[in-house]
Amino acid sequence: MSLNFYRRVAFGLSPNEKPDKDPLNWAINQLDTIPDLLWPGTIPTEKDLRKKYGEWVYGDREVLRKKFKNDKHAYRKAKDELRIKTGERYFELNEHAIRHFQTKYSKQPVFERFWLFWGNHFAISEKDFLAEFSTGPYQREIIRPNMVKTFEEMVQSVTTSWCMIHHLDNSESFGPNSKKGMEWGETINENHARELLELHTVSPNAVYTQEDVIQLAYIMTGWAHKWDRKNLETGDIWFDQEMHQKGDKVVLGVKYKNDAKRELAKVIHDLATHPICIKFVSTKLCRHFITDEPTDEMINPVIAAWNKSNGSLIEIHKAVITQAYKYNEITHKFHPPEIWLMQLSRMFDLNIPLSFEKMNYTFKSKPNNRQRQLSWILREIGHSPYRAKQPNGWSDLEVDWVSPELLLRRFWFASIELPMLVKSGNRSHGFILSCLKNNFEDHKNMASLIDNFRFGTSDYDLGQKYGVICNLPGVLKI
Amino acid sequence: MNCTRRNFLIGGSTTLFLSGYFPKISFAAMQKKNLIIISLRGGMDGLTAVPVIGDKRLKKLRKKLILEDVLNLNSDFGLHPKLEIFHKLWQKNQAAFVHATNIPYTGRSHFDGQNLMETGAHIPYKEKTGWLGRGLLASNIIGKGLAISLPMPLLLRGVPQNNNFFPSPDFVETKLIDQIYNEFKGEHNELIKSTLDTIRQRPLSMQIATDSDDRKKLALEAAKQLKDQSGPRVAVFDLDGFDTHAAQGGVDGAHADELEEVNKIVTILHENLGQAFDNTLILTLTEFGRTIKQNGGYGTEHGYGSAILMAGGLLKKSQVYTDWPGLKKKELFEGRDLNSTIDSRAVYNSAMSVCFNQDPEFLRKEVFWGDELPDLSQELFKI
Repeated sequence: MSLNFYRRVAFGLSPNEKPDKDPLNWAINQLDTIPDLLWPGTIPTEKDLRKKYGEWVYGDREVLRKKFKNDKHAYRKAKDELRIKTGERYFELNEHAIRHFQTKYSKQPVFERFWLFWGNHFAISEKDFLAEFSTGPYQREIIRPNMVKTFEEMVQSVTTSWCMIHHLDNSESFGPNSKKGMEWGETINENHARELLELHTVSPNAVYTQEDVIQLAYIMTGWAHKWDRKNLETGDIWFDQEMHQKGDKVVLGVKYKNDAKRELAKVIHDLATHPICIKFVSTKLCRHFITDEPTDEMINPVIAAWNKSNGSLIEIHKAVITQAYKYNEITHKFHPPEIWLMQLSRMFDLNIPLSFEKMNYTFKSKPNNRQRQLSWILREIGHSPYRAKQPNGWSDLEVDWVSPELLLRRFWFASIELPMLVKSGNRSHGFILSCLKNNFEDHKNMASLIDNFRFGTSDYDLGQKYGVICNLPGVLKI
Repeated sequence: MNCTRRNFLIGGSTTLFLSGYFPKISFAAMQKKNLIIISLRGGMDGLTAVPVIGDKRLKKLRKKLILEDVLNLNSDFGLHPKLEIFHKLWQKNQAAFVHATNIPYTGRSHFDGQNLMETGAHIPYKEKTGWLGRGLLASNIIGKGLAISLPMPLLLRGVPQNNNFFPSPDFVETKLIDQIYNEFKGEHNELIKSTLDTIRQRPLSMQIATDSDDRKKLALEAAKQLKDQSGPRVAVFDLDGFDTHAAQGGVDGAHADELEEVNKIVTILHENLGQAFDNTLILTLTEFGRTIKQNGGYGTEHGYGSAILMAGGLLKKSQVYTDWPGLKKKELFEGRDLNSTIDSRAVYNSAMSVCFNQDPEFLRKEVFWGDELPDLSQELFKI
């Protein structure tokens, strides 16, 4: 088995890890439990961060905009101060550190790869201040605990999470015949219903109609944040009967009787166990781990495991890994920038993320450049994880990631930024060679390409070496 | 420079023209036409950019946002003083405006709206390609899109081999690419290899390092590329910050700062495109306009109808093209927003037809699913 399997399903091997005698077992044994988050620094709860979100929007919208309505300069200054006080510029940096610390040091890196996958399947795209305050804790507290449950349970949690409801506007969706809908002349917002069908469960392959979307939106009406004057839109999610559309609903030919808040669990059950949903999500999993265009042959065993286990994510994950192992030698997969960065960080033991002591924040001034470094790198290589442009998340296709500028950015990172992230004990040529040997069959050929710089240990020399190594076809792709 | 057949032909014809043997019409037909789209994200306020003059109701509703020193366009409309270049071009029939226009979207969400302004569709997130990408593909113009941004904007997606330019913070030695280029073997590495080719063929001027927030440099380089007869034919710029809920202000407010950015880009394009400006159309694109009435923070909320700012030598004449809906309460959309009486996609469809030498009917069907979009090329553009 090629060493590239460790990058196909994880992040490669760190200098103190050795290849396992049985790589398939090594990988499969990582999926039964949820590894603890290892970050030794602050890990705030979703609820705490939502409170901060509330302080920020309230402070800006209800206080500063009114106070400084005649003075854009004073307004900007006051707004910047509020950013510092509420951590608006800080929490996303901390979340990136938690995430990258995890993928670098986790003893269950294969599990972490699935964590990234599901966070992107149930993507929160860049909207309002979700990236700043909410997407990180959503992935930690909603996605992660569900990874040892069933797919259906995951969909239930996601669909009623504050983050997804805010992201897809379900709080603005009123049943037109509901009490509030009639009083205020409001109607549904279809966004969340459409994405629940299209992106999260059955996909357009189920050939649903606009009427199906409307009917599902009716079922979902009432699942909203609790609004009040102080917390604005950041209140907890509840079911507001006065927003809920009365009457029976029909989605994909199935009738759902008028049953208030219980309707949602029923329809999610039917969607999450729908054969087309199972095929769609299995295909996506195979696409992520095996190849851009997976064949039925690759996908079918995953579908079989899904059916046999009634959607147990543990069993589904194991089936995906088994398939990834089986096809490892004959398929290729391109890695998007963030996974590439995580792999480089693990394989070459780079100094990212910053130590938790240095990430400590006092809410008195702007985060410093060191604290911003990882997030800045992610943005510059084109893959700031909580800032996908659309609810369908980041693409898993090579064609979407190969553009002149995006490739140049990889050269930029590897040749200019990376040398500054090499630990002082790791600057020798021997260290690079040992990392290559640990992770690549053709390490000798790779070494020959940087042999000219074998005596160099300056940033420039390291840049020349890593600039070459990190962008070789076998590193960009497996 | 590689003297490809294509370059040779173009060089040859130029010489002929200059020596006076070549009929002008044929030369014009051979000239590359450029279409430049500047996305104004956040909701550009058409009534701030191109204010209606002497409307008492507007004055009353926008007491704190009223502009002084408005540049004069005609008896009905003025121009924001920060949009100087448009005023200058207006005198030469090289600037025009479409007013009370928008994409057919009334939902007031930035995210849905920006998605629709790029896909040109009716349902947010339903389409995964952009109208400009589809227009290029339908016109069989491949590899001629240039995005001035790091990710490929949705607007350009749908056609392969676009280039994007958004310099990294430091200079990258492209000789690194030469060192590993031959390692990319086999079919599965073809896409990366051909993209590395694109990078290697880049002119030196594109290998700069800069602060990518420096729009001046980006615009300058875009102009250089567009001027090149074999260079890109469309370019897409992205600006954000138009969402001025507070301190929107008049001449010097937050909206004015953003308009100044637009003005800067168009100024640089105009200066540096040289003669190619005559064969260029620059159009702005936004997700919606803003409410008529100022809010409690002296800003405005998300609205509906807005305006398209246009510049370039392919414009027919200086004009404010509009079917003005009026600003009386009953004339407003939902009693609060400037209405949209022109589907802005009709303007973009017509612009593509002019710049890509395509039948607007054909494009309407290929790009906009046959939606009813009148052909405005006669009214707006030189054809």
